[in-house]
Amino acid sequence: MPTLTINGRSMSVDAANDTPLLWAIREQLQMTGTKFGCGAGLCGACTVHVNGEAVRSCQTMVGDVAGKKITTIEGLSAKGDHPLQKAWIAEQVPQCGYCQSGQIMQAASLLAKNANPTKEEVVAHMDGNLCRCMTYSRIQKAIMRAATEMRTASAAGNERRPT
Amino acid sequence: MNKHVKTITPETSDLSRRSFLVGTAATGLVLGYAGVPGIGEALAAAPANFEPSVWYAISPDGLVTVTCGKADMGQHIASTMAQIVCEELGAKWSDMRVNLASNDPKFNDPVLGAQITGGSWSTMMNFDAMSRAGAAGRMALTEGAATAMGVPASELVVRDSVVSHAKSKKQMSFADVVKSGKATKTFTPDELKAIKLKTPDQYTMIGVSVPQLDIPSKTNGTAKYGIDVMIPGMVYGAVVTPPVRYGTTVKSVDESDAKKVPGFIKAVTLDDKTQTTTGWVVAVANTYANAKKAAAALKVSYDGGPNAKLSSESLLDEAKRLQGLDDSGQFFVKDGDVGAALGTAAKVLEAEYTTSINIHAPMEPMNATAEFKGDILHIYSGNQFATRSGAIAAGAAGIDPKFVVMHQMWLGGGFGRRLDADMMVPAVQAAKAVGKPVKVIYTRENDMTMDFSRPLTYQKVKAGIDGDGKLIALSHDVVSAWPTQRWGIPDFLSPSVDKKGPLDAFTVNGSDFFYTVPNHNVRAIKNEMAHNATPSGQLRSVAPGWTFWAVESMIDEIAAAAGKDPAQYRISLLDGAGKNDGGAQRLRNTLLAAMGLAGYGTKKLPKGEGMGVACVSSQERATASWTACVAHVAVAPSGEVTVKKLTVATDVGTQVHPDNIRAQVEGAALWGLSLALYEKATLKDGGIEQTNFDGYTPLRMSQMPEVAVAVIANGEKATGVGEPAVTVVAPAIGNAIFNASGARVRALPITAEAVKGAMKA
Ligand code: FES
Ligand code: FES
Repeated sequence: MPTLTINGRSMSVDAANDTPLLWAIREQLQMTGTKFGCGAGLCGACTVHVNGEAVRSCQTMVGDVAGKKITTIEGLSAKGDHPLQKAWIAEQVPQCGYCQSGQIMQAASLLAKNANPTKEEVVAHMDGNLCRCMTYSRIQKAIMRAATEMRTASAAGNERRPT
Repeated sequence: MNKHVKTITPETSDLSRRSFLVGTAATGLVLGYAGVPGIGEALAAAPANFEPSVWYAISPDGLVTVTCGKADMGQHIASTMAQIVCEELGAKWSDMRVNLASNDPKFNDPVLGAQITGGSWSTMMNFDAMSRAGAAGRMALTEGAATAMGVPASELVVRDSVVSHAKSKKQMSFADVVKSGKATKTFTPDELKAIKLKTPDQYTMIGVSVPQLDIPSKTNGTAKYGIDVMIPGMVYGAVVTPPVRYGTTVKSVDESDAKKVPGFIKAVTLDDKTQTTTGWVVAVANTYANAKKAAAALKVSYDGGPNAKLSSESLLDEAKRLQGLDDSGQFFVKDGDVGAALGTAAKVLEAEYTTSINIHAPMEPMNATAEFKGDILHIYSGNQFATRSGAIAAGAAGIDPKFVVMHQMWLGGGFGRRLDADMMVPAVQAAKAVGKPVKVIYTRENDMTMDFSRPLTYQKVKAGIDGDGKLIALSHDVVSAWPTQRWGIPDFLSPSVDKKGPLDAFTVNGSDFFYTVPNHNVRAIKNEMAHNATPSGQLRSVAPGWTFWAVESMIDEIAAAAGKDPAQYRISLLDGAGKNDGGAQRLRNTLLAAMGLAGYGTKKLPKGEGMGVACVSSQERATASWTACVAHVAVAPSGEVTVKKLTVATDVGTQVHPDNIRAQVEGAALWGLSLALYEKATLKDGGIEQTNFDGYTPLRMSQMPEVAVAVIANGEKATGVGEPAVTVVAPAIGNAIFNASGARVRALPITAEAVKGAMKA
């Protein structure tokens, strides 16, 4: 039985090594925030982080992530208050909402590396995530808002911590 | 189709429970529950709550939970219903909660008398009932508080969930009043009708972009969609769908390899008396991953049936053949004498317009969970038409519809796809076969190839203009599968003006436009071959998605032939004469607003760029929303089209939630763009060729142009906003392409090859 480290907890899943991580997360661990959209790496609805990188969990097998750090939407922040989640509410991004866990996880991996992305960088990073409700412009705005908030917060943090 | 579904009979239900309900249609589709053991339990609400109406309850902690009888697929209709109730009730927004209704008929749409969500109807048709429900609650709470505080009710003021008495400085929160048990007033339907509602100038909630109640749960993974349902002891079903869309039968199923898959339970060949599906097999296993493996391991052989050789080309050829016959179809519009007028016309134009098969492809693939508990069949699925879907589920189970309880979930996209109930059939029959609750999830491949698609359409339009360029005659033939006739519910069909029997107006709506054309015919022609081979459905905006493609392109062609500016030409046709009075003027004003915002005609555009306009009155003439678009495009010599900007203006009458209207209009406009340029499905050997998002390619972020939206709120009744902008974009783009390059395109989606081919050398 493979053991997965998900959202800081180690959990064993009753699934064969060639089971897509998506289904292990959703069914065995009953964490349903990560969504199934295409099963073929074409939509991004199933996006989670493996060692901080955004990956498509429908294309990632359970056997390949043993011992790695997996983060799902449920573990992105303790209280649903990651700057992106707050920005998503502020910009009222979701319509049906089904794609949004994947969108937020995909965006989070961008902001973790690039705190000041250009619009072009956002589009390039997000283009693999489909939104059938077409909330794309609000997604862009929310990413920019979160990036600003994260930069402000870290600047404030730096001031408080003089070297 | 669906002839085995039990006819649902209207039934008078328990009036004491619905005395707060206004105008609950006695006709229509009502599922009866009276006397079914266990059903009350299954549907019961907490008894200590104050329930001034079936639409909401106030709990002793002061939370107001509104039950939404509409499917919420991202249009935030649940939140909107709460907002309308909240306005009249006088509650604090942070006290509002929402709940999704079961299929209990008490939650039926007060106007439609059924549970169905579509047509951008919901706000329009529920505004009054929700307002009255809210006002009745406020009055009951006020009287209760007056009794409890010993002051006259007339001196009380309700605000932010508090009833207060200024003179004595006494006050009670809603929670206090509910706890006191003093709020007991009930209303008869007549009393409800007599309630004086607020006038728009008194609104404090309507017109405010309050935070949508469902949004936080959609940022942290907690919103529960149908696919997220977990039932103890549940197993999973993966569907093996046949290579042919409709009409196949299963000859044999070889399970030998599937049996080697761990966790495999059973393969169930569907026996679907509702005829919603044909030739489907479900592989049931302990997990979905195993069910999918087992499904892949099943060897199913088929009899392909009568449609196995058909292709998009054969459907189009058949459409053209039918259109060519004089006695085809039925008339939807027949004004004046088109034949005679065409005979006297100075110039006659003729054009053919087509649209391809299109797939809904909501991001949440179709799914349903079925559980038999005692006599009751429980269905968990996000669905837009609980009234009919419950009957289909019952048909699949071989039980009476009154034994079916539908548990509504958040919909991961609807767009009309979830009006259908096909996903319930495999869940029900698998659950019956294995004696356990079963969740069936379509793969994206199942979802795309078994869609109830937007049908392939063929339209022929003939127009006559007089010597001054005035449009004097228009004949318009629309050939397509008939999506709504497929439901088998006579109420949804419309009489034809030539009395040749009912027609499916959901194939021609929009063609009865607000332009003044003295001689005007519209013929609705059913393409039986397409109807059988590609069972069609309602795709966001339905007919106006193709009728306005033809009408609004043709008007442009006519304007060009008359040597007039296409926008000015439209304005002259929108003169508001006769039956068009009111609507035409609103549409004209909307067009002018879009032109103003886009700077139409005010700037010289670089070579290869152009603007095009279109204006539409989707949905039905009686439920129109006035929408206009100016598209700004650049056309490369290769025929490649870049949409630089879409400017959309829409007259919504009254705005309940301005920010939501913008979200809906923008989403709808981008859907329109996606259908105009990027989405195309094709039929080959009876099957849909596109199976996933590599072959069928909705708009992505990088393809999004600038979108500007102007919302006109002129105090008229609230209209729908979820759909009209879908229909206005394609013709605006087509017309802009013509303006930019002289190339006239008449087929959707528009391709670079078609544009290049249409360019004058
Ligand atoms: S479900 Fe994994 S990319 Fe679509
Ligand atoms: S919000 Fe519906 S798919 Fe993105």
